[in-house]
Amino acid sequence: MTLDGRRAVTVLSGFLGSGKTTLLRRYLSAQGGAGIAVIINEFGAVGVDHHLIRMVEERSVLLQGGCVCCSRREDLVQTLRELLDLEQSGALPPLRQVVIETSGIADPVPVLFTLATDPVLKHHFAPASVVVTLDALNAATQIERQPEVRKQIIAADRLVVTKTDLAPREAVSRSRMRVRQLNPTARITVSCLGDGFDVLEPAIGIDRAEAIGQAGALQPDADAASLHKDVQATALGFSAPLDWPAFGVWLGMLLQARGPDVLRIKGLLDIGDAGPVVMNVAQHVVHPPEHLPGWPADAHRSYLVFITRGIDPARISESLETFQRAGGRPDLSVTRLS
Amino acid sequence: MCVLCGQMFSEIHWSERLLDPEAVTQGAGETTRRQNRHARTRLIGKVLAHYGLDVSDDWSATNYVVGNRKGAQQVVASLAELWPAASRMAGRPLDPLDPALLDRLRRPNAETET
Repeated sequence: MTLDGRRAVTVLSGFLGSGKTTLLRRYLSAQGGAGIAVIINEFGAVGVDHHLIRMVEERSVLLQGGCVCCSRREDLVQTLRELLDLEQSGALPPLRQVVIETSGIADPVPVLFTLATDPVLKHHFAPASVVVTLDALNAATQIERQPEVRKQIIAADRLVVTKTDLAPREAVSRSRMRVRQLNPTARITVSCLGDGFDVLEPAIGIDRAEAIGQAGALQPDADAASLHKDVQATALGFSAPLDWPAFGVWLGMLLQARGPDVLRIKGLLDIGDAGPVVMNVAQHVVHPPEHLPGWPADAHRSYLVFITRGIDPARISESLETFQRAGGRPDLSVTRLS
Repeated sequence: MCVLCGQMFSEIHWSERLLDPEAVTQGAGETTRRQNRHARTRLIGKVLAHYGLDVSDDWSATNYVVGNRKGAQQVVASLAELWPAASRMAGRPLDPLDPALLDRLRRPNAETET
């Protein structure tokens, strides 16, 4: 158990043939599989003698009045509850992590929604990160033609560029650039034959800050808007600690009004306490904010990255600043970092 | 359910979770919650005034009561329920990016203007 006494859940996603299974196999071999359960949707491929592998057939239930991200993965609810029962009855050793490998065309957000909203699971499992694999050989075409791939990249906390032994160096750097354009906060690992598999290891404590993003990614990128005109990524910085109640009012209202066009929000917020608050929103799904005990040594910087569709970033910045000033931070200024 | 006040708690909104476990162990949790709650309700009041609505806390400061000028009221348990309910009462979407709303929030008496 790693996160508030709950079992860490790592979601491993990526398009068909992008190297998810290779990465998972290397990770399980290195870990010896102790305390790790794996949920996959295709049997046979993992090839590791691992008694905690469960196969599921992805089964989503769209909630009435909900958008696409608000669908419940019934298959996962059932499987995770079974694992919990087995562990609690002593039939399984204590679990510390569950890796959920999604199908190639799955959207990872319903998995997060399911973990956040199921009345039993939310007390026992905590989303640790979304890891997405991207095949460097086919990245350009897939990003262009497959909306599923774009969704996966936007949902990613860690992105692993794979097949780099087969792809020319330019293709690898182009893949990195395209990921940056869609999701500047994803931490990118370039992997060859499944190395870099430790991205699947859940981060704890202050390392969570590193795991959710990197301040280095917030550099202005002149080409950022050129390929995906409908998707904008912008980073906001703050001149003073934020007022937390006012932030909650603002973000709740924004997601209610503009939810389908707010694809991702990530960042570290200074709200005047010793450590930052980790914010992580994937579409409508707001991860419970985490309060870290302190700031990472190399990143004492309060920021929020917004990935939106068709919303002028200047309006987000202006709106957040106005709500903060109306809510008790009259001197706070919000600036665009990128 | 709380056995003292009879309130049903189905869900705690992400923004209303107490963030500092230290404060809770020192018994300061309830004070912090009330302070945050007061600040939140006050700001929501300024926002809803733009749509001809008002908001107040119920006696236990766990539910919000949203009302309009015709006297209609609706009790909601959290921020997640408040925005859709207010939008239905106002008869239009409530958008935090709306320039007219932001103009109003910049004025000193945003809460009491009609």
